[in-house]
Amino acid sequence: MKKTLFSTVTLLSALVLSACNVTTEDEATNGNSSENQETVAIDLLGATADEQDLNILRDQLTRNGFEVNVNQQPDYASYRTQRDAGNFDISVASWTTVTGNPDYSVRSLFTSEGDSRVITPDPEVDELINQAAAETPEEYVETYSEMENTIVTENAYAVALYNPLKAQAFNQDLLVPESVRLSKSRAFAWDSVEYQDEAMNETEPLTLTQTESDLTSLDPIKGNDGSINQLNTNMYVRLVNLQDDDTVTSEASLSYNHAIGESRSDYYFILRDDINFASVEDGQAVDSGERVGAEDVIYSLERASNPDSVPDHRTYSLHSFIDEVSVVSDMSELENTTVAGEDTTVLESLEADLDAPINSLVTDETEADSSAGDYQVVKLTTTEPFPQVLNYLAHQSAGIVSIDQVEAVNDYDIDNFDINTTIPYGDQRAVTEGETYDNHLYASGPYIMIQKNDYEATFQRNPAYMPESENAANIENVTVRFIGDMDSALSALRSNEVDMLYGLEETQYEVVEGAENLTLQTGPSNAVTYLIINTTNEESKTAQSEDLRKAILYSINQDDFVQSYDGQVNKAFTPVTPLVETGNELTADPDLVQEHLTNYLEQAE
Amino acid sequence: MKSYKDSLIYKQASFSLGLSLLYTLIIGLAAFEWETFEIRPQVMILMLANGIFSIIQAGLVWKLKRESRKTLVISKSSQLIAGGLIVSLLGGNIFLLISSLYIMKKQVRPGYIYAVYMVVTDLLVIGVSALNLFKPFVTNTFIPAMALLLVVVVLHLIVLVGYEKVQKLTGVPRMIILGILTLTVLTGNLFVLLVAYSMVRQSQEEPGVNRRKTLFEKIIRNQASMTGLLFIIFLVAISICSYWTFSYGLAVNNDYGNILQPPSLVYPFGTDNFGRDVFSRIVFGARISLTVGVLATMIPLIFGGLLGAISGYYGRHTDNLIMRFLDILYAIPGILLAITIVAAFGASTSNLIIALSIGYIPSYARTMRANVIQVTNLEYVEASRAVGNDNRNIIWKHVIPNSMAPMIVRATLTIGSAIIATSSLSYLGLGVENYIPEWGNILRSGSAYLETEPYLAIYPGLAIIALVLSFNFLGDGIRDATDPRLS
Repeated sequence: MKKTLFSTVTLLSALVLSACNVTTEDEATNGNSSENQETVAIDLLGATADEQDLNILRDQLTRNGFEVNVNQQPDYASYRTQRDAGNFDISVASWTTVTGNPDYSVRSLFTSEGDSRVITPDPEVDELINQAAAETPEEYVETYSEMENTIVTENAYAVALYNPLKAQAFNQDLLVPESVRLSKSRAFAWDSVEYQDEAMNETEPLTLTQTESDLTSLDPIKGNDGSINQLNTNMYVRLVNLQDDDTVTSEASLSYNHAIGESRSDYYFILRDDINFASVEDGQAVDSGERVGAEDVIYSLERASNPDSVPDHRTYSLHSFIDEVSVVSDMSELENTTVAGEDTTVLESLEADLDAPINSLVTDETEADSSAGDYQVVKLTTTEPFPQVLNYLAHQSAGIVSIDQVEAVNDYDIDNFDINTTIPYGDQRAVTEGETYDNHLYASGPYIMIQKNDYEATFQRNPAYMPESENAANIENVTVRFIGDMDSALSALRSNEVDMLYGLEETQYEVVEGAENLTLQTGPSNAVTYLIINTTNEESKTAQSEDLRKAILYSINQDDFVQSYDGQVNKAFTPVTPLVETGNELTADPDLVQEHLTNYLEQAE
Repeated sequence: MKSYKDSLIYKQASFSLGLSLLYTLIIGLAAFEWETFEIRPQVMILMLANGIFSIIQAGLVWKLKRESRKTLVISKSSQLIAGGLIVSLLGGNIFLLISSLYIMKKQVRPGYIYAVYMVVTDLLVIGVSALNLFKPFVTNTFIPAMALLLVVVVLHLIVLVGYEKVQKLTGVPRMIILGILTLTVLTGNLFVLLVAYSMVRQSQEEPGVNRRKTLFEKIIRNQASMTGLLFIIFLVAISICSYWTFSYGLAVNNDYGNILQPPSLVYPFGTDNFGRDVFSRIVFGARISLTVGVLATMIPLIFGGLLGAISGYYGRHTDNLIMRFLDILYAIPGILLAITIVAAFGASTSNLIIALSIGYIPSYARTMRANVIQVTNLEYVEASRAVGNDNRNIIWKHVIPNSMAPMIVRATLTIGSAIIATSSLSYLGLGVENYIPEWGNILRSGSAYLETEPYLAIYPGLAIIALVLSFNFLGDGIRDATDPRLS
């Protein structure tokens, strides 16, 4: 009895189940889910930090008939080793144009001589980049657009995936919100930040974080990466600065004013006389008594543009346009040169808004006295007309160092230099607590590093940095904590362990918005996450087949990235996109993918 | 409370009552929308129904206890109440179902108990697979597979309800029924084997002879380990059935239109940051966790066991050589060794298994060696040697079989830690590739959303806890069953 009952019930339910309207996968996808075509295996390389991008790419490529082998390296160093060895077909990479000008973004990555070249040398690309460099912003839009098309649509060397936002969060109960700047390109400037409670400025250190604890070099020309960009920016003053929207300004820089000569190859800077180098004595920042003058500027910029000035020079390609830097002693040169695109003379332009007009030009920095009208003027000549040079001068690698101090420390023989026995200027061993500690830094900027260990670096205000002006740093001490991952850093911010967090990730926005004492600042950035399609390693199959590269290119759907990042990123075409509105856009096209894949497979046979 | 059968039934009834109350409580917590203090009406009704069932069960337990003082037979009225409680299955309460099926039976045989668990496993698999009906689409083989599963459950129900009748059958019909029954083990429902085994054994029993109880007959007395076994076998079954009833695409293909959806009927555990169904991912993840867990236990069990047996039996220099070598291996922390191996040879499932296995070898070898030394000195080994058996024969015939019990206990207990190690390595990004659904991977992607979407980490975390606990309960049960002092 029971048996029949059970059987009837279950059989009935079986009938009901099969009779009800269930859509199967084939019906839902019209039978397209399984491709019968031969799959092409490709290696996708990335670091753990790129996990989300790797997964989106893997998904998109798999859907388009590739068999993706994801090679996810645990950290940036091992990722970079793999990338430099050419062990990939495609690789996720990121690029931030810290100078805020388009030339930098393409010169390093795409020219034959670029210091971080990711594509095979292509004369056409070189030519277009050099052509754009000499052009005005109105003119170069067309040229950059053409260059973008050469790299992406014509040759499929590389393509941008998206352009993220720049975001930071800070404790609004502690810091004055208006004093925390969010710049598009420039590294975070500490000098403007102040506490709500003014008394705390002198007593409480401003606590910040950064992920890398291993500092490349505190010599500005020997590093250009996340470990030192922010630190060196705050330790060395430059001839000009970038404003938050990437326009060049003399504000809070070493120059009162600057002017571009009519030839567009001569650039004039009138120097301030109220900045001295700071040095460290007994763990305290002290005024070294040495003024930052034209001699230091000339020395700093010449060594920046000379690849052989130091071993392991990492930034010379940024300054390859600098031809000559000199101090101007002849007033008539300023009087007789007009400013490019204007009717005023360079003299008038340099004099604008000065407390005392230019009375005389001095060559010795100790004789400069702005109240008496005795100034130093530096002239920089570029190898060819190149207005974007000002952006490079605003970069941390153009930071001004002390000629006397650097020469005194770097007394090694450059040909027999051995990093294991010699501690060159700016080497982190000189400031790391312990045996090797011998702080030889001379900082021209608002802060100087006192010392560092594996957990934090401490900084003190430069007592002789524009002391009378509003540009003097507000907070006496700054501590930079080294916190390896952003989630821990965010926890530290929320527990008031740090005051501010720079470079938030997209997934963290919501948490910050939910916290009462935190303010989230977001703005456009010059960062681009892009895809390198391997053409540098001739062995790789992508280097050998343009069809394969194009098949990969048209598999990429940027809408997926935008959606995956909750709309917090913008589409991009190349690293130039955030800087120049070329209007180019990549559209995914499965039909083109199939066409190119078929071509590729036919050739391979 | 004199009869063993009554005591077992009573224990099961009160154990089920506890689990049923816990189940009701969990549904009760789920019935509230904590942020807005609203009540979800359907879940509330479910909770109330389960609450009523639990109260009835409590009454039944009290009734059983009182009646057992007078008679050893369960009264008709108790059986009727238990029969009524089968309705609780509609509320998803499988615990009461198990206890009811026990109470309703006149004579509870081990085979019958396993048959109960066999049917419960079928119901769980079908129930979990049926959740796919709410999805926008089901996999192509879903309907035939479900139909087949329903046929299987009907067959299992026939065996359960007509257990005594099937048992009384002889000759060809019996062979056919047992054969078909055994075939259904292909669904992954390992209880089928236990049922068939118990039936065969029971029929070989001679009346009046008091034979030794086997492990499987002893373990049914431990409700916790049976619950653990149920969960493990359920996972094995769902891992196999999911090949045909779950769409792998939903678990691995990104769906940017459905990113971070909260739990609903369509996505029972919500969707992750790529719009993948976390429920499907956990179901597919069970496959990897179980495989890696079992293999990473089997390999050291075999190699460690063999090395331990050899060094324990031969002693002296052989022992010294093998054990000192293993001591070196023992000195390296297991998880660090695994991380090193994976980092050196790349992250893949096979490397993961090897990495975890190597670290476990020394501890198995030590256990085996101790047992073997003990057994080798027993008289029967000496006797065997005296009659001229060679060493190989003695090791295989006498030493190893008699030293296995502690090894099995150890294995069941370490499967749990192997599963945790797998998940830990995946969590660190060193296990299987991160798009592949594996519990550690799922937990890892959920950990970034712990505050905003906590369910992404809670469900895979619970799955890991449940599986590890199940193996631990089972291990405890086996240890108790093999312990001569407790039998």
